[in-house]
Amino acid sequence: MEYVTSLLSLALIASAIRVTMPILLAALGAVYSERGGVINIGLEGIMIMGTFFGAVGDYVFARQYPALVAAIPDLAPAAGVLAAMLAGMAFALIHALVTITFRVDQIISGVALNLLAVGLARFLNILFFGVATQSPGVSGFTPVDIPILEGIPVLGPIATGISPMILVALLLVLIGHWTLLRTRFGLRLRGVGEHPRAADTLGINVYGMRYAGVLISGALAGMAGAYLAIEQAHLYFEGMTQGRGFIALAAMIFGNWWPLGALGASALFGYFDALSLRVVVLPVPSQFINVLPHIVSILVLAGFVRRAQPPAADGVPYTKEEE
Amino acid sequence: MHPVLIELKGITKRFPGVVANDYIDLTVLRGEIHAIVGENGAGKSTLMRILYGLYQPDEGSIEVNGSPVVIDSPRKALQLGIGMVHQHFMLIPRFTVAENVILGSEPAGALGRLRRKEAEQRVRELCRQYGFALDPAAEVSMLSVGEQQRVEIIKVLYRGADVLILDEPTAVLVPQEVDELFANLRRLREQGKTIIFISHMLDEVLEISDRITVLRRGRVVGTVPAAGTTKSQLAEMMVGRPVLLELEHPPVTPGEVRLEAREVTVAGRGGRPVVSRLSLAVRAGEIYGIAGVEGNGQTELVEALVGLRPVTSGRILIEGHDVANASARAIRLLGAAHIPEDRHRRGLVLPMAVWENVVLGHHSRPQFLDGAFVDRKAIESFANERVEKFDIRLSNIDVPALALSGGNQQKVIVAREFSFNPKVLIAAQPTRGLDIGATEFVERQLLEARSNGMAVLLISANLEEVLSLSDRIGVMCSGELVAEFRRGEATPQELGLYMTGTRRAGATSP
Amino acid sequence: MKWRLLVLQIATPILAIVFGVVIASIIVLAIGRNPLDVFGVLLRFGLLRADSLLSILFKATPLIFAGLAVALSFRAALWNIGVEGQYYIGAFCAAYVGFGIKGLPVAVHLPLAVLAAGLGGMLWALVPILLKLRRGAHEVITTIMMNYIAAAVILYLIADVFRDPSQIGTPRVRTPEFPGSARVPSMGPLLGLLGLTGPDANKVNWLLIFGLVLCVLFTVLLSRTRFGYEVRAVAFNPQAAEAAGIPNARIQFLMFMLSGGVAGLAGLSDVLGFFGYLDIDFPKGLGFLGISIALLAKNNPLGVVLAALLFGFLDRGALGVQFFARVPKEVIVILQALIILAIVVAYELVTRYIRMQRKREAERPATAPAAAAEAGH
Repeated sequence: MEYVTSLLSLALIASAIRVTMPILLAALGAVYSERGGVINIGLEGIMIMGTFFGAVGDYVFARQYPALVAAIPDLAPAAGVLAAMLAGMAFALIHALVTITFRVDQIISGVALNLLAVGLARFLNILFFGVATQSPGVSGFTPVDIPILEGIPVLGPIATGISPMILVALLLVLIGHWTLLRTRFGLRLRGVGEHPRAADTLGINVYGMRYAGVLISGALAGMAGAYLAIEQAHLYFEGMTQGRGFIALAAMIFGNWWPLGALGASALFGYFDALSLRVVVLPVPSQFINVLPHIVSILVLAGFVRRAQPPAADGVPYTKEEE
Repeated sequence: MHPVLIELKGITKRFPGVVANDYIDLTVLRGEIHAIVGENGAGKSTLMRILYGLYQPDEGSIEVNGSPVVIDSPRKALQLGIGMVHQHFMLIPRFTVAENVILGSEPAGALGRLRRKEAEQRVRELCRQYGFALDPAAEVSMLSVGEQQRVEIIKVLYRGADVLILDEPTAVLVPQEVDELFANLRRLREQGKTIIFISHMLDEVLEISDRITVLRRGRVVGTVPAAGTTKSQLAEMMVGRPVLLELEHPPVTPGEVRLEAREVTVAGRGGRPVVSRLSLAVRAGEIYGIAGVEGNGQTELVEALVGLRPVTSGRILIEGHDVANASARAIRLLGAAHIPEDRHRRGLVLPMAVWENVVLGHHSRPQFLDGAFVDRKAIESFANERVEKFDIRLSNIDVPALALSGGNQQKVIVAREFSFNPKVLIAAQPTRGLDIGATEFVERQLLEARSNGMAVLLISANLEEVLSLSDRIGVMCSGELVAEFRRGEATPQELGLYMTGTRRAGATSP
Repeated sequence: MKWRLLVLQIATPILAIVFGVVIASIIVLAIGRNPLDVFGVLLRFGLLRADSLLSILFKATPLIFAGLAVALSFRAALWNIGVEGQYYIGAFCAAYVGFGIKGLPVAVHLPLAVLAAGLGGMLWALVPILLKLRRGAHEVITTIMMNYIAAAVILYLIADVFRDPSQIGTPRVRTPEFPGSARVPSMGPLLGLLGLTGPDANKVNWLLIFGLVLCVLFTVLLSRTRFGYEVRAVAFNPQAAEAAGIPNARIQFLMFMLSGGVAGLAGLSDVLGFFGYLDIDFPKGLGFLGISIALLAKNNPLGVVLAALLFGFLDRGALGVQFFARVPKEVIVILQALIILAIVVAYELVTRYIRMQRKREAERPATAPAAAAEAGH
């Protein structure tokens, strides 16, 4: 019985919200990429780049501009987030080039990208920090309280002392949903993901839209990595993404390729991820608690995938000439 | 106002191994319906793609309104007032009518916010202006083929086109829908639009157009006024020799029932029946044709008959053996051959060599095996013999099937399916996308099979083909066999009424 | 024409390697080192020393299994990204047979351990393929997830269940050692006859030969047999295969099981050949290297051998680069990834080029009779 109550404890829910964020941001990125018709298995690698460059950006900025950072401490983590997003976009650009321009199978490209990310992170870490696997500690953002919610008894503990990145991420989900559903950009992105030739005949730049989708996914996955390094662990270490990029893909599928759906699905994974933080005591060996989100991913894919409706041209390279 | 709206001069376009357009001159007058006819592969589509900016000509020039232009993209073509209605609809099924229409030139406000109401209003106005019946808020996946075509035309009108290129617009329509399309086209002409109408259906071309340009093998044969030109003149211009428009259909006495469906019901997505309680019987030496608008359960019926889709209830008998829900392999072994409707999807493994494709499905016969190993020598000699007998044009049998033309690919399938003395042949859309020569070849093969005592079930969206080949005709609508006729009993118009569900009758038993 | 295409196909991987080297050189330049030094050391250290050559053979052995396993799945158009987890489980099963059973002769014990490894790999492959065939769950994500779960399972089994009691109190977390009857014999004695001796010669074991034999067997299976024909049909066009009466699901299932079974063997060279026990720090990442190798080899089993040797060489050479050129050896990991990206692009372009060529040539003789037929009328 204690297990049951502790499974619903506020502390657990609060930490679930925190660990949901990296999955959510990456899943949101995946939505943009796949709505445009490009499967991005390389999300994990992009996220790895995000963790590393998030830590580097934060660390280097704090070192270079100590006076500035002393005055406004949030500048250092902000620099980290920016660096991570740029690195994520650079990495996503490779994926875009290989899959959109050269029309290589999207899964192969993504897998290769993940391999590249692992090697590159180790190599760069040696260059920056002298060791292969971890960075020095870095500072996070100043936590904030949500003005109205903090006064409410039950929600208070959840709404106080939270990372501003959580608010940004939730805002990005709303913006993303609105963008895909209600804007010209969203309509065109979905158009090239559903029927690129139809879009092409209407004068829409299919390659351009797909590049945009993939680059946005890179920026968001980079940001997801930055959150892990800057807000969660306060340093970079090798393997810290723990497959969250892949879990994000499962979340996107479970969320039916929509940002709000991805939010719900990510929260589910986040909840199981939070269990591994030992906020509660479970009668299962710790090794297995760590992989709960992975097990849930498999169950979700096995149970719900038939219901889901991917964009019609998802994963299909587009070529202007007909064969 | 210049009377000549579009002038193409010396347009030449080459593709690897073929000259698609060879120095083509074409003049389109303002306000006319100008038909461009020719066989498949004559270069009609290529020429129109050039005019619409999808292809760039290797040589030649284009003038619009008397001034030379370069059309390097569809966007540019639309700026010049040229729009295209594609043969394969360029519609996004999951979008609404309005979304499909506005895509690419959306009315939008701040931050790119779509003005949905305004879009729907404009689509509604266009429909009213040209007398089209369409609901802008409907999802395209819910529309009939004719309605989808109207969406395509509205798309072009929305972009302000004065010239509409329609690429084989009638290929997918039933006769009643064709009539409605023609009425719409005439209304468009009255309102000052110019229409370029691509087709190989000569009757329709003569009915709708003012002038006709005939292409053959990438060249212009001539431009003639529709008034005073006959169908056989056009056909001869098109093919380059006098053609028999009707194949001989010698009388054959049908034998015993070879293929029978009894009250067959097949479930589609979500369990809804797509074929319901359908019964038919095909005898030896008989071609039974199924006419119907595509998407009325023909695909599912065929898949159920050949073992590719489960049957919910009912029986399927091949020479008396119940094969409902039997495997495709078992049905094949009973002597059922199958020409699939989509040769790229079901009929061939395109990256595999021709010799491998010629035995696909028969590869496990003892004569092609040497223990667990493939007996390549045996297969190759078989393949060479087939290639010769069926006149498949290729450099050697090692080339992958994807390197062949559509006609030769279909011949590979026909060659394969006519091997090993099948008792029953199920031929779905056997001449789709083939040129006149290949079509004639395949149709002759079907008639020969009939003469040899095969039971042939022919499913075709081409009503003319069904009428000319079949001994009996069944009409499918909404998954049911709504009518059955003997050869010569029904006119195309009558069949059209049944195909669209306007009229129903109990199916008669043979 | 035919041999021109062949030359093109052979030149493709070489060009991709050159591209990788060029980009890696830029990276080396960027950190202020001379790429000529780095690649000079790589070649000299990696190829001109007997111990390096032997080390390459040792390093290539598990890579052959891993690469072959991935290639087998890719050949059936299945994405087995789960070789990593499958060989963890395979290695554990072999270890369990190794330390759990005593008193068997080597002729029984060793094959039993190898078999256990194969079955372990298959077991781990079973979940994703069943979920794919029965429930439509895409195997890319499920196999990846199974990798994480395998790592957790192995950790639990080694650390909490089967930890060598004699090691408790030390920082070493591993299973008990296996008796000699479960160890793969070294090729050292045979290599000694060729004048190659030393620790590196002793590390090379007979699994290398086993791997080569498997590659040859699978080449024959896939290119000459009815099964291979059906695999090709299913891989290229499952719907046409289905219409031809080929049991799609069974073929996919079998190929995935074969892939998982071979994957299960990837850890054996280290576990049964080198260490003689399963340590929580046993070599990881072979499954991902296997993906690179399969891509480089274009899923050809014999190509897998060459690609595995190349990766063995790069791995060995990386040590030299680290020691003598004082450049982090991770530059070689980057080089590997770059080669893979370059190779997939190059293969794609070449495939498209060849397809176009074949289209151009396929119906060439057709023009003559057609023209003649027309002239006749």
